[in-house]
Amino acid sequence: MSQEVFILGGEQTDFQRNWSKEGKSFMAMLREVVEDSLSKVGIEYAEIKRLNETNRVAVFVGNFDAEQYTTQGHLGAFLTEVNSAFNGVPGARYEAACASGSVALDAASTHLRAGDYDLAIVVGIEVMKTVSSAIGGDFLGTAAYYEKEAKGVEFPFPKLFGKLADVLLERYKLKEDVFMDSLAEISRINYANAKRNPKSQTRSWFMNKEHASARGGENNMSVGGRLCITDCSQVTDGAAVVVLASPTYTAEYSKKRGINQADVPKIKGWGHRVAPITFAGKVAESEGNKYVVPWTKTTVDDAYKRANLSVANIDVFETHDCFTSSEYAAISAFGITEPGKEHEAIQQGVIDFKGKKPINPSGGLIGVGHPVGASGVRMILDLYKQVSNTAGEYQVEGAKNGLMLNIGGSATTNMVFIVGK
Amino acid sequence: MRQIKTVTVLGANGAMGAGSAGVIASFGEAKVYMLARDLGKANEGITKAVKSVRTDTIKTRMIAGTYENDLAKAVSESDWVFELVAESYSVKEAINKEIAKSRKPGTIISTVSSGLSIERLSKSFDEDGQKHYFGTHFFNPPYKMILCELVSHKGSDPQIKKDLGHYLEKTLGRAVVYTNDTPAFAGNRIGFQLMNEIAQLAEKYSDKGGIALMDEIMGGFTGRAMGPLATVDFVGLDVHKAIVDNLYEFTKDGAHETFKLPGYMQKLIDAGNLGAKSGQGLVKRSKTADGKREKYVYNISTGNYDPYPKFDIAFTKEASKKIGESDYAGAMKVIKTASGLEADLCRYFIARYISYSLSIVGEVVENKENADKAMGFGFNWVPASALVDFLGGVGETIQLLEKAKVPVPSELSKADKNKPFYQLKDVLDARALFRA
Repeated sequence: MSQEVFILGGEQTDFQRNWSKEGKSFMAMLREVVEDSLSKVGIEYAEIKRLNETNRVAVFVGNFDAEQYTTQGHLGAFLTEVNSAFNGVPGARYEAACASGSVALDAASTHLRAGDYDLAIVVGIEVMKTVSSAIGGDFLGTAAYYEKEAKGVEFPFPKLFGKLADVLLERYKLKEDVFMDSLAEISRINYANAKRNPKSQTRSWFMNKEHASARGGENNMSVGGRLCITDCSQVTDGAAVVVLASPTYTAEYSKKRGINQADVPKIKGWGHRVAPITFAGKVAESEGNKYVVPWTKTTVDDAYKRANLSVANIDVFETHDCFTSSEYAAISAFGITEPGKEHEAIQQGVIDFKGKKPINPSGGLIGVGHPVGASGVRMILDLYKQVSNTAGEYQVEGAKNGLMLNIGGSATTNMVFIVGK
Repeated sequence: MRQIKTVTVLGANGAMGAGSAGVIASFGEAKVYMLARDLGKANEGITKAVKSVRTDTIKTRMIAGTYENDLAKAVSESDWVFELVAESYSVKEAINKEIAKSRKPGTIISTVSSGLSIERLSKSFDEDGQKHYFGTHFFNPPYKMILCELVSHKGSDPQIKKDLGHYLEKTLGRAVVYTNDTPAFAGNRIGFQLMNEIAQLAEKYSDKGGIALMDEIMGGFTGRAMGPLATVDFVGLDVHKAIVDNLYEFTKDGAHETFKLPGYMQKLIDAGNLGAKSGQGLVKRSKTADGKREKYVYNISTGNYDPYPKFDIAFTKEASKKIGESDYAGAMKVIKTASGLEADLCRYFIARYISYSLSIVGEVVENKENADKAMGFGFNWVPASALVDFLGGVGETIQLLEKAKVPVPSELSKADKNKPFYQLKDVLDARALFRA
């Protein structure tokens, strides 16, 4: 039995907020995002209670590292603190580093496909500003092979994705200035897009191509080889929720609201692959391959296959631009260009907001922010908004199908979802 | 309006001048003439501007100059002349005279003045100049505080105002509040009303905890990042005095007496104790020999600095706890139902803030959204309209105001009791402004 999985909507927190400064904990954030989401989707606590009587509702929480950031595990159990309507509702926390949100989505959609539940509330959440950036950088190192790649290394991840930049440059025999200019353009686009997104972290920050290209010096320091601050996503506090539903529930839900069920976005395809954990292992394995991170490409292809779609059908992408180099590599993985030709798509404006294949109209991780465990859920929420024509100022005109890529580690866990009507 | 490609900033060495120039050169990608009294100061301004926006790229677009040697050339080339010299008619009018000599028709001129009459300042210019003259009241520090009050006067051209507002908003990324040419405009009128009345009551209750007590009962749980009197200390007692004196002299509304500067503040000013910038004012910070930080507060009765006290007030603790849990309505309920002098004062201040914020609609701003924006973006205070909703809506808030014996503004009495009152939810999430 395999049922379709619909998306009824959701909400994200304002990623500009610093919850530690506000004196508010992960619990306050969870309370706000769950209440905002349910009210936006129009589901009341009484409805959760009603569904729970017959065990038809469940909770899935994506979170990377609350244990270290805020000394709290077991986040799957905390919706009971939001409202007692969640007492007795099955729930668990899911973890796959920066792809934690996506593995929560994966678990939720798997249960819905199997017909186990009617409604799944998927939460992605991370509080990160509880610690200094150096300590946080060390926590993030546990998403790599800590002992081999991160222990004693200051800011290990920028260095790993700096290496990705090195390998891309070398393998595709690119001119360095063209490649670096492309990375700066990726940064420029993400920041520019984020200005249209009222919930983005960087919406009031200054960025232009000139600044993104001016690497080095104290205002744009190198953080990992060729990569500088403008090439990185920033430390962010934030949470996002989407509400997924079964076909029968969606039918009732649509009828009650006088909307056509065919207009409700659904998950059309997915992919999930795990590459060797170490970055060196990935590079060694892909030696001689056209793709530097071939498992990412395979994950995208799996999703296309399951959705019976190709890149030609995708109108909008949300990708995991934790660094400009990861977005660069994703362009060919999506099939927008051949591997090695990514810079052409960037320079020709293909991935820009008004381009043929816009990537990250939301602003992406660089522009919206990257609360690690929330990003996957935030991405699918953004695809939902695009496909349901509710993205406001960052709406891509006429978007019918969208694809998201969420990765954990140095492109280790790869998760792709395709959302469409 | 002309496209803004070249800008002259006068007073480029000050925090406001340098910070504003940084925003204009970066977001606006404009060439900026940085004018000051001497070249050293002008160059200082460039360094400060780079530091504030954190980009070296603007250095090449900033040209240091002096009023004496470079003003004429800079102004004649500029699409916008932004004056941020000292806050007095004599200084501003003297420099306006110089600007007027070299200004080409169509060039915008604006002042950062936070209290002077924009209309009077505009009179330094010919008719075209008056049409192009505005107040552009940025807040400090300009890169971080994105509010800009755009003040027009009788002679300013409405189309140019609209275009300038669009430029400030879309290009420079400002949250623009449109205000009339009234004393202190919107943000400072509302903000300094509350701060000064709290300062007055600190004197009245100086034996009960004075300054520290007032900040305790108007702490983060009432919707601000910093206590109101800590804010006065931060902006400087001299600046505070200039603003409230101006309001006392030129406004005649129901809050008139609350703009009278308390005597102890004048005493502190006379002694040169202006606040954080001069080492001591309402509070004093020092370090012991072993590096331990100590904080003292001015005792209004004795004139001494006492160790900053800790209070044990049940309702502030309870309300803060609720804010920490994001239970905003719960925190407001605690405030509404608590008893005792402290709770009475807290309710009075909140009621006064809501009442006064909404009362300026019509005279100062066209609608309450402009007042809300001014307080949210300019002061990081929860806007009055948002407080109305957190307090339980229009009906409950009217009751609160009536009990506190402050006027119920027509914005409230005519509002639909069954609808959310706050209209800026998608622009400014007021929850973020409450601190536990």
